[in-house]
Amino acid sequence: MLTPESQSRRDFLKLSALAGIGGISAASTAEAKPDPAQLTHLTADTIGKMRPRPAGNKPVWDLNTRPIGKVRIGVIGLNRGSAHVKSGSLLPFVEVVALCDILDDRAQAQAEIVFKNTGKRPAIYSGDENVWEKMVDRDDIDVVYVATPWEWHKPMAVRAMSLGKHAFVEVNSGVTVDECWELVDASEKYQRHCPILENCAYGEEELFVLNLARQGFFGELKHAECAYIHDQRHSGTYTFLDKQREWRRNYATFMQGNVYPTHGLGTVSQYLGVGRGDAFKYAVSVSSPEFGLSQLREKTQPNRDRAQDQKFVCGDMNTTIIKTVLGRTVVVQHDNTSPRPYTRGNMLSGTQATFCGYPNRLAIDEDNKHPILDPKEKRNSHSWTYEGDKLTKFMQANAHPLIKKAGTDAKKVGGHGGMDHLMNYRFLDCIRQGITPDLTVYDAASWSCLMDLSDRSVRDGSLPIAYPDFTRGGWQTLKPLPLVS
Amino acid sequence: MNLPENPNRRDFLKLGALASLGLGLSAVPSAEAKPDPRDLKLLDAHDISATRPRPAGNKPVWDLTTKPLEKVRVAVIGLNRGRSHVNSAANIPFAEVVAVCDIVEARAKGAAASVKKITGKEPAMYFGDENAWEKMLERDDIDVVFVATPWEWHVPMALKVMEKGKHAFIEVSPAVTVDQCWQLVDMAEKTQRHCSIIENCCYGEEELFVLNLARQGFFGDLKHAECAYIHNLGGGVLWSLGSEGDWRRDYHRFMDGNLYPTHGLGPVAQYLNIGRGDAFKFVVSVSSPEFNLTQYRDKHQPNNGQHKDEKFVCGDMNTSIIKTQLGRTIMIQHDVVSPRPYTRINALCGTEATFFGYPARLAIDADNKHPMLDPKEKRSSHAWTYEKEKLTNFMKENQHPLIKKIGELGKKVGGHGGMDFVMAYRMLDCVRQGITPDMTVYDAADWSSILEISARSVKEGSMPIQCPDFTRGGWQTIAPLGIVS
Repeated sequence: MLTPESQSRRDFLKLSALAGIGGISAASTAEAKPDPAQLTHLTADTIGKMRPRPAGNKPVWDLNTRPIGKVRIGVIGLNRGSAHVKSGSLLPFVEVVALCDILDDRAQAQAEIVFKNTGKRPAIYSGDENVWEKMVDRDDIDVVYVATPWEWHKPMAVRAMSLGKHAFVEVNSGVTVDECWELVDASEKYQRHCPILENCAYGEEELFVLNLARQGFFGELKHAECAYIHDQRHSGTYTFLDKQREWRRNYATFMQGNVYPTHGLGTVSQYLGVGRGDAFKYAVSVSSPEFGLSQLREKTQPNRDRAQDQKFVCGDMNTTIIKTVLGRTVVVQHDNTSPRPYTRGNMLSGTQATFCGYPNRLAIDEDNKHPILDPKEKRNSHSWTYEGDKLTKFMQANAHPLIKKAGTDAKKVGGHGGMDHLMNYRFLDCIRQGITPDLTVYDAASWSCLMDLSDRSVRDGSLPIAYPDFTRGGWQTLKPLPLVS
Repeated sequence: MNLPENPNRRDFLKLGALASLGLGLSAVPSAEAKPDPRDLKLLDAHDISATRPRPAGNKPVWDLTTKPLEKVRVAVIGLNRGRSHVNSAANIPFAEVVAVCDIVEARAKGAAASVKKITGKEPAMYFGDENAWEKMLERDDIDVVFVATPWEWHVPMALKVMEKGKHAFIEVSPAVTVDQCWQLVDMAEKTQRHCSIIENCCYGEEELFVLNLARQGFFGDLKHAECAYIHNLGGGVLWSLGSEGDWRRDYHRFMDGNLYPTHGLGPVAQYLNIGRGDAFKFVVSVSSPEFNLTQYRDKHQPNNGQHKDEKFVCGDMNTSIIKTQLGRTIMIQHDVVSPRPYTRINALCGTEATFFGYPARLAIDADNKHPMLDPKEKRSSHAWTYEKEKLTNFMKENQHPLIKKIGELGKKVGGHGGMDFVMAYRMLDCVRQGITPDMTVYDAADWSSILEISARSVKEGSMPIQCPDFTRGGWQTIAPLGIVS
């Protein structure tokens, strides 16, 4: 599928108007501020149901677009989005055309960085909650980055696509299953890419494991574990009480499951070929009691008793198990409020090898005859075959092609150790070439929707909840992501 | 409750005869038929959860005390696994190994010879046929019988042991099914004998250290724990004829769940006061596909290919989550075939600290003001506060009293690094003093029951399965296990 780039804005508005007659409604002229507490949550019977593809929509998993010399980007949300601004301003084939934030000083500061890096000053949109709409109205933008509070992701992404732009959406891309379907339908309708900006899929370790998995090093894959365990009690994430930054804590007052699944889940989904040969079948989820946020508030009394009446219902530790159609299992955990070091788990178990992250360890079966191994080396999986320096060397020798190509540059630019830049480089390079980005709207949907599915399971006493198939059967024939470079 | 020791055997037979008239348990027949694990009574999702009424005349045994003894007379059935208990008892001055029993003559003679070497006294030997153990139980000079036989023999033997007025110390898992768990509870309550699970991992140095800290409130509010039995037996033990390969692999052919839950679960159940202030509420369980046993068999054709027609149904990796009445969560895993190093995980998460095993690591909250901590020490839970040598030192300073008392001796005697000896010493010392052992029949039942409950959940598509209450409400008032010594 090849769609023209840079269609005139009028064409897209026409398309939207047509679409408004049935299927997705066209983006309204001014979005009301979304209230996450009012999001549509479905029942256990309906949440896993596959919705029919609206007439006229076409899959986008192999969507190609016209190659372009320069990829023009706009970024909404310059707290989280600043890493993307930096990447964009340092990539020679990219131009940062416009920046948007509700706070003018944040926008000005980011514009200054772009100017410093490129000599060109991007347009600035700031000052009110709907100013982003003016930015996405421009007809000189190819890609809109959406890096705003979660409740804004879907409305912004859908509108960006309806106006002919690709939407690169931060994690979680959608808060509910309902929103995930809206992203899929909009992407398929407007034939625009809507990848999830899951930077962890571009971490050096993650790409190393993916590289090995794609080469069959692990044998048959059976089980994976991942997590987002990050003590955020003192980082401000939960204690910020000013208007722009208190939105995240809000989710802990009405959602009870894994409220941030994708950092861990994205990478292990890629290892397992989820959406490309395998698919999530169901999820069961159990939460511990809530202690962390309540105790933190009582102890630190942040900002003079504001939020004193908030009741937190999200258990400190959520553990979810996903079963796939091929029968594999994935454990996903979330804990942001316990006293323990950061981990994403990043564990993959196969018949021939086992990898565990944090710290990295690799056990290799003695029968594993993979050509990257020294056949004379004696191995025994009763202890870790490679860890520490030995593993670092093995990882360097078997780095993913993307790391070999751009890893060193990415580390220089930085952003979570370079993975932000590597991701942006790769995504924007796909747009430049006109090929499908590694992460598609189906990944965005199937990874993000665990937030809603786990909440549903917890509310229903840990019932297994059927997983919706956002590819509408496509996963059975889609090929695994190749070793891209 | 104080019961006389060494009651006349005839009294106990009378008791058994009464019972067979319909007062609860049927009498044990005079010669046990060889149990076939495929005949085990598996329950459906409804019956498995039912808490059965206490038969008339039975009394709880959670605080059962007995007449103090000077010498505790021990017999052991099953001298492969049980050899370690023979060795422990022979090295305990207040214990006497009176009799040993095994179907294999050489094993019985070997064990008897080792006892003679240590104590100068040779125990009686019972061997040669499958029912030799029944002859041994006719003796009236035995206080405690260790049952260390194949799983299907545990319950029939333990029931008969108790009927004959002896305490039964049963290897893990004491029972395979929930129905068997009830049989153990009812018989212990009827005969007023102890029926302890001999879960040696509860007496590991690390486990006792964590228990010691937990009992002192070091972890704050407890919220989550993780445990496992991950031990690659698939290229060895499970095929070893004349030993566990005769029977243990068989369970992989008809049960798909966590086949061996107690090594991991026992210690964390103690941390969380399961059965003593908290209780298991429900379990959800998910299994991965089966690969490694079949692949190993096909590749290596162990025992001259005689297993070529065996079909294995137990998924390689089983992950279950237990929710407790107080809302805490326990993740428990089982994998005995994948190429990866041994772990029981042994994790405990509280509001003030987090412990992980394999390798041992402790993170302590910056606000943790526990008196055992140096108040001048700066801490941040974003890295492990103590690990490696620093943790080893902290563990030494804060050892459990039992380890202080007999840890060194345990290491000398050996048996899984000494924990077998510490356990045997403590359990037999309880019987000597006439006090209740740390692990009761309720622990044996609670911990073992996860085997069938997990298999039931897997069979039902990971539905949550409610746990029966073997204490029949007692857990609400039973006091937590103290810091024993």
